[in-house]
Amino acid sequence: METKLLTEHYHVENFHTLTGYQAKGGYEVLKKALKLQPQQIIDEVKASGLRGRGGAGFPTGTKWGFLPKNNEPRYLLCNADEGEPGTCKDRVMMERAPHQLIEGMVISGHAVGSKKGYIYVRGEYVHVIRILETAVKEAYAAGFLGKNILGSGLDFDLDVYGGAGAYIVGEETGLISSLEGDKGQPKLKPPFPAVQGYLRKPTIVNNVETLAAVVPILKDGAAAYRKYGTEKSPGTKLFSLSGNIVRPGNYEVPLGYSLSDFIQKEGGGMRPGRKLKAVIPGGSSAPVLTADEVAKANLDYESLAGLGSMLGSGAVIVIDDSQCMVDLLGVLMHFYHHESCGQCTPCREGTGWLDKILHSILEGKGRLQDIDLLLKVADNMKGRTICALSDAAALPVLSFVTKFRDEFEYFVREGRSKVKGKAHAQMHH
Amino acid sequence: MPKCTINGQEIEVPAGSTIIEAMHGSGQHIAHYCWHPGLSVAGVCRLCMVEIEGNPRVQIACNTAVTEGMKINNTSAKVKEAAKWGLDFHLINHPLDCPICDQAGECGLQDQYMEFGKYDPEMAERKVKKHKVVDLGPTVVLDSERCILCSRCVRFTTEVSKTNELGIFNRGDRSEIGVVEGKPLDNKYSVNTVDICPVGALTSKDFRFRQRVWYLKDADTVCNGCSTGCNVKTYFNREGLFRVKPVHNKDVNGYWMCDEGRNLYQYANREHRYVKAMHRENGAWTEMTPGAAAKEIAKFVKGAGDKAALVLTGQYTNEEYARVLQLWSTEVKSKKVYHWNSHEKTAADFDGLLIRGDKNPNTKGLQAALQQHQLSGTWAELEAGLQSGQIHTVVVAGPENLQFAADFEAKVALINKAKKVVWMQTAKHAALEKMSTDVWIMPMKSYLEKDGTFVNYSGRAQNFKRVTTIVSEALNLTEAMELFAGNQLTIRPQSDVLVESDRPADRVRLEHRKKNEFVFRRGPL
Amino acid sequence: MSVVQRTGESRNWYLPGIAGGLVITMKHLLKNLLSRKQMITLNYPEEKFEYSPRFKGNHVLTVKRDGSLRCTACMLCATNCPAECITIVASEHEDPSVEKYPIKYEIDILRCVFCGFCEEACPVDAVRMGPEWQTPGLPGADFHYGIDKLAYRPQLKGGIATFVDDEERHKAGI
Repeated sequence: METKLLTEHYHVENFHTLTGYQAKGGYEVLKKALKLQPQQIIDEVKASGLRGRGGAGFPTGTKWGFLPKNNEPRYLLCNADEGEPGTCKDRVMMERAPHQLIEGMVISGHAVGSKKGYIYVRGEYVHVIRILETAVKEAYAAGFLGKNILGSGLDFDLDVYGGAGAYIVGEETGLISSLEGDKGQPKLKPPFPAVQGYLRKPTIVNNVETLAAVVPILKDGAAAYRKYGTEKSPGTKLFSLSGNIVRPGNYEVPLGYSLSDFIQKEGGGMRPGRKLKAVIPGGSSAPVLTADEVAKANLDYESLAGLGSMLGSGAVIVIDDSQCMVDLLGVLMHFYHHESCGQCTPCREGTGWLDKILHSILEGKGRLQDIDLLLKVADNMKGRTICALSDAAALPVLSFVTKFRDEFEYFVREGRSKVKGKAHAQMHH
Repeated sequence: MPKCTINGQEIEVPAGSTIIEAMHGSGQHIAHYCWHPGLSVAGVCRLCMVEIEGNPRVQIACNTAVTEGMKINNTSAKVKEAAKWGLDFHLINHPLDCPICDQAGECGLQDQYMEFGKYDPEMAERKVKKHKVVDLGPTVVLDSERCILCSRCVRFTTEVSKTNELGIFNRGDRSEIGVVEGKPLDNKYSVNTVDICPVGALTSKDFRFRQRVWYLKDADTVCNGCSTGCNVKTYFNREGLFRVKPVHNKDVNGYWMCDEGRNLYQYANREHRYVKAMHRENGAWTEMTPGAAAKEIAKFVKGAGDKAALVLTGQYTNEEYARVLQLWSTEVKSKKVYHWNSHEKTAADFDGLLIRGDKNPNTKGLQAALQQHQLSGTWAELEAGLQSGQIHTVVVAGPENLQFAADFEAKVALINKAKKVVWMQTAKHAALEKMSTDVWIMPMKSYLEKDGTFVNYSGRAQNFKRVTTIVSEALNLTEAMELFAGNQLTIRPQSDVLVESDRPADRVRLEHRKKNEFVFRRGPL
Repeated sequence: MSVVQRTGESRNWYLPGIAGGLVITMKHLLKNLLSRKQMITLNYPEEKFEYSPRFKGNHVLTVKRDGSLRCTACMLCATNCPAECITIVASEHEDPSVEKYPIKYEIDILRCVFCGFCEEACPVDAVRMGPEWQTPGLPGADFHYGIDKLAYRPQLKGGIATFVDDEERHKAGI
């Protein structure tokens, strides 16, 4: 059941312009929020149970509460890097409703006491950057940004910043490093960004969808927001459905929605003559779910965590029985090998090693001990690095090899894919 | 001052210190590559894992602050496994360069491998190939394949020398250390990066391939390059001195030393030294042993009175000055002592880190000794005396570190005006051999072959012991002056010949050495 | 063959002992006179003893395929040598894939005890103990064998090729 909470007016032709946005009641929530105290907004967001929509799922209200008192200036950063393979929801939000994001940011800025905000967009989204810049200009002209917003005495400056093609700057400290002008390499935590972030000042980094969700929360109240979703995962979320499915696309559904229903109803089900084999529910870093597990899964944080996977960014990648799991894992490992920043040794060397082992297997030169070696290497990359890219590379390996071991063993023994019947099936370089 | 328990030992640490600082301070051993006490924390090598009670995951010790009552251990099987895999990841792309790498014998990877490695490597894929023998600058050579990207050198050029020449280029496992086009690594502290590099990625052009480190012995002493007096460790064997590295002294030089100080050992090796005494008379040089020469010299120096002048440079030890000045006044009966201060005008220069303008290590010691004996002759008086012929004989204790003696030739030309010159010199210099007057050249021992005390620019007296004897025939200043004064030399037995050093003996600890002694397992015969 | 010791007073008597020893000598003498072929004496230098392939004779420094010295001057042989008879001076090679090579490799053959530790220590099969062992010299001859004597002496016919070739290692990606 597709819900239209955030995406209510996305179909409207000019919703991305200021006039179109205001025609549908835009910036009214801002006027309401400017009259509230910052702590009231934080409490409302806490009460709504909004969790970070970028991947980690950390309760947003709690994150905002980590800011130390009396430490100026504070920064609000919007993470629009959207690097997780399979995810394209933020792009749609920024293309169709940039003002929703801007309104959410101004409200959040007011809540956290920040006077300066940045929207960090990945460099590949050139047209999105242009749309955002236009929207920001419109907002400044109308007095929704800048000094003394709508006469309330509050300031908020917003800048759009483009990245340069790295997945690692989707990590919050990597984003902060890139924004500061350094190499986009994550920093050691502690200290956490809420205490020492951008330019060593308290910083809040939130995903596009999280900040945009603040608008409906404040519009109708936390209780109304809680009507959607489950107890621990309230609200709605945009999911990017892709893969071997009839109707791929972005869909907004309430959390807790059954995954099988999502695939069958919203997605239109499998292509004719194909059976479901596996689903990656939350972007490539989430462990894969077999078809049996998919039947038991709901699209919320707890259910998927209980099955050993994670909701992540909400990119649901559907895999049917025409795909070779070894080949898919090879594609993923190539991605992580390419995107590792190279700072800490387990990730830098481990991603390269995993990529090379999979290459050997895919070329038909794998050895039987390589399969256990993949598990050992991935196991020892987990939890030992500065950021989570290493885990993101290790978790797919562990889940693919454990759940689809027969395909790996077939490939090693026979030198070709069980499904595709040949080696080098779909090698992308 | 929070208290914590590390490996069963309870330690009290300053507030805010990290676990690795606590372990380093209390002498406990933890394997690490990227942490250095003189640089900021990077946390990239992931080798310094510790297990903290109450935490299911192993944590890195370099970025975790010690809290009250923390229980830490790095000897459990979980930690050893984590460290072993950390090491494994470092080694999978590391080249098989041990035979040609200078760091063999003092390499971080070799040490950790012998400690908790010794596994069968499982990497069967092709290793990453990078640039080798990259010329980074006039002093340092880089081998990117050996580099473990600990970023110590990059942090050094950013934080310590503040010259920002080094950076890490590219991403992932194609990362390489490099310099920007047109800005080579040529600051005055560049060879410190070679010291802190835990592997053989950065090698010093000066030391490259000259000797294997297990053939070298080391001894601590003080640098005589300038008045800072950095504490250094010299490496030597029978053939001579090979290199110099800094020793940590938090009050004088921290963890570093400058590049100029590293070149000073070169003058001390035998090929650059005066080994025999030389006497020039009527245009011809004759050689003889220093003892014989000193006896001849004593004939015209002893009791010479005010016709003889003594020129001292601030490069000899306090003990030598004390005895020499005493003998000069009692035996030679002269009051003419002059301080050759080659860097008087630039003495107050300081480059902000370690290099000072006064290139004499013991100026303050000499000045104090002169003051004590109430000798206040100025250089102008010496010049006047030489001009007028009042000063007949000049005895010069020449400077050791000739690379800074810019006024050496000018002074030689000046002193050439005297009728008789006794020049006591450590290292050879062509200007001395061009002197035209009746000159005696006496070979001197360098400061590395003496025990003594230098006083640095801030008045700190630093005691150092003899490193080794390179030219045993040479004399030190006290002995020379005793012979000039007509005394016999007495050989004092060294009472502390067999003193236990309180520094740990090996880099690879003794128990690991013992464990690894018979690695070759021979089958039954 | 077991040795049986005869006990008893008669062992101490002189003549039986002498006679018994002479009997053994005569037995060998007659055996050798009658069948020359079974005599174990070698008529050196026409007949020489065939040593095993593992015989530790004069050292051989192996060469790579292009004729250059295999040795990388790692000094493990010099370190392992119990007689401390190997002197090596290393130097930088212009080719960065070679990087280090010895400009002086000297074995003082009179100090050498031919133990073979250097051969065991070498990680790249650069030094081996060859089969030659008869290398006399007159007084004044130079018994410090340098690279030309160790690697390129005429008996080696241009150089013995090494088994550990760096090219193959690099091609395999190690």
